[in-house]
Amino acid sequence: MNMSRRLLIYQLLLVAAVAALACLLFSVTQENLARLGVDSNFDFLFRRAGFEIGQSLIPFSADDSILRAFVVALLNTLVLAMAAIVCASMLGLALGLARLSGNWLLSRMALTYVEIFRNVPALLQIFFWYFVVLRTLPRSAHSTVLWDALVLNNRGLFLPGPADNAGAFVMAAAMLLAIGIAWAVGHWASLRRYQTGRSFPVLSVTLSILGGVPLLAAWGTGMQWEFPQAGRFGYGGGIVLLPEFLALVCGLSMYNATYISEIVRSSFSALPRGQLEAAESLGLSRQVAVRLVLLPQAMRIMIPPLTTVYLNLFKSTSLAAAIAYPEVTSVFVGTVNNLVGQPVTIMALTLVIYAFVSLCIALCLNWYQRRLALRGT
Amino acid sequence: MRANLFSTPLDTTLTLFALGLAYVVLAPAIQWLIVDAHWRGTMPADCPDKGAACWPFIRARWDQFIFGLYPQAERWRILLGAGIGIIAALPLFMPRFRYKGWLMCLLFILYAGIGKILFVGGVFGLAYVDTGNWGGFFLTIVTAVFVLATALPLAVMLTLGRESSLPLLRLCCSAWLEFWRSVPALVVLFVAIIMFPLFMPPGLEVDKLLRALLALTILMSCYLSEALRGALQAIPPGQYEAADSLGMNYWQKTFLVILPQAIPTALPQITSNFIGLFKETTVLLIIGLYDLLGMVQSAASDPVWLSPGVSATGYLFAALFYWVFCFGLSRYSAVLERRASRFRGKAI
Repeated sequence: MNMSRRLLIYQLLLVAAVAALACLLFSVTQENLARLGVDSNFDFLFRRAGFEIGQSLIPFSADDSILRAFVVALLNTLVLAMAAIVCASMLGLALGLARLSGNWLLSRMALTYVEIFRNVPALLQIFFWYFVVLRTLPRSAHSTVLWDALVLNNRGLFLPGPADNAGAFVMAAAMLLAIGIAWAVGHWASLRRYQTGRSFPVLSVTLSILGGVPLLAAWGTGMQWEFPQAGRFGYGGGIVLLPEFLALVCGLSMYNATYISEIVRSSFSALPRGQLEAAESLGLSRQVAVRLVLLPQAMRIMIPPLTTVYLNLFKSTSLAAAIAYPEVTSVFVGTVNNLVGQPVTIMALTLVIYAFVSLCIALCLNWYQRRLALRGT
Repeated sequence: MRANLFSTPLDTTLTLFALGLAYVVLAPAIQWLIVDAHWRGTMPADCPDKGAACWPFIRARWDQFIFGLYPQAERWRILLGAGIGIIAALPLFMPRFRYKGWLMCLLFILYAGIGKILFVGGVFGLAYVDTGNWGGFFLTIVTAVFVLATALPLAVMLTLGRESSLPLLRLCCSAWLEFWRSVPALVVLFVAIIMFPLFMPPGLEVDKLLRALLALTILMSCYLSEALRGALQAIPPGQYEAADSLGMNYWQKTFLVILPQAIPTALPQITSNFIGLFKETTVLLIIGLYDLLGMVQSAASDPVWLSPGVSATGYLFAALFYWVFCFGLSRYSAVLERRASRFRGKAI
């Protein structure tokens, strides 16, 4: 018998063994479930939930279905991950640039920050923020109030927001529109730069579009703003960020920013020195050289390790279960599983949702990486 | 000094900003941690100021932080086991010692037995200690070491499977790896705790701690596999060809030529994964296994001690403990990296 046929037989044996193991597990599980009288279908998704969720983007009440609770939890996870990713990236970029700066004191301080916060578990940092900082804030009656618009107390951070759903819709639409316009302007500016060599103040224009369009929309449609109001049972109105959410965003972003800063630092130092020298000898200022010569090349090195950090950050949003912030893990595995008692289906659903979102993040960043990649080499 | 800190106006501003930031952060921290703190005593009454740092709390609960709820009279077993482990593993950290691989295999087998006899007991006249009583730093270390020791062989097998020339094997291994790498550790732990009993035939019960350890082993082997894969790809193709031309079969080639080169290359990456695992053990407290952080948290919520100052001190103490270990390991990893690069004769 020749080698390749033997290898084929080995592989078929392997597949058969895997299949047999899966069948065995399946039958044992079926038996156990039947013995315990546990259903394993997805009918429970359409039952009345019967529990409230502390924070939700879409309206939710105890009378809604469990499926809607799932959507609420998933949205909470996504918002949490997005907020933490944005904060971690900004802090990480600042720290990474501080590490690279010629200023000895600044780079040493950034290094100290990185070495301290990288070596302490994320969960411990979240606990510190939650139990030590945010939960011990003064009660409603003694809140910290800034310009009558920002209110901070042990119930969370209160921000002004649109008064009704129509207003919220207008704001969301205006934000999307602003992002679209900003992207188009950026695209046009880079095209023009390639063709004519003339530069365009992209950053300031983009920022003013992102800030201006929503404000204009709010003013133009006569939208009502709602400010946090002190009521009999504490503050209400506007947008409320729960202390759990704040603790998670602070903890996760300060922890992951250390990894991002290392990525930023190492990818800038991986660039050949000649790049900066060539840019300077062309008469580009330091700022322009960093923005147009170094950053685009550093980005190419940055994206793959950054993908890993973002995926880890997304996965660690599940730590929210430790302080009962209503995201996927605490709502599915905690509340719903206790309520319905169908562990197999609920766990499978949870695993699949996390795997699916991770896959989407990885695909997005891989697509971006391919867009940045050198062509024709 | 001038060139570093005050060369341009922007530099001066940055320096002043940094100094201001350092003052704003450090001054209150030192005031709270040292000046205002309570230092003497071991009783809650020794911390009259509820907001200040309370070091007597740490002194009073030190034993619990280290040993968990392990019976007081049996704690010598933990110390003995730790002593045996440290002395036996010492040669692994000597650069000159040549039989590291054999020693590791021997330790793996022997220590599994020693650990089971000493820590669980129930044989040779040693009292039985339920794993539910394990906790504190002891549990953290047991978890980290057990998971590393079991995950490493598994990771080697998964990596070989993934890099093999057999398409079906490769498919199975990469699907397995990609799936476990894309789900959170906490959810996998919940699966192990809630669902694992359903997979087992009736009558066969697996200890809760063991189930959690197995879940972490699966995850860790997937993370380590990624590190090993990078190291395998860094091996020049000439090594494979040379082994082939000597007439070695697949297993000889892998275990005598490839892995002895790949594992030292992967060592810094393995260490950083181990640091990650060390920090990840804290999620055990969410599923009700009280590791160091869990012990600190439950001690701080004891009504006798309950106060903001006590919980802040507890968390800071735990942070310091984790920090010392993780920072030490990362320094060790840097030393290994330097040694490996010198070994390869490269500059960096």
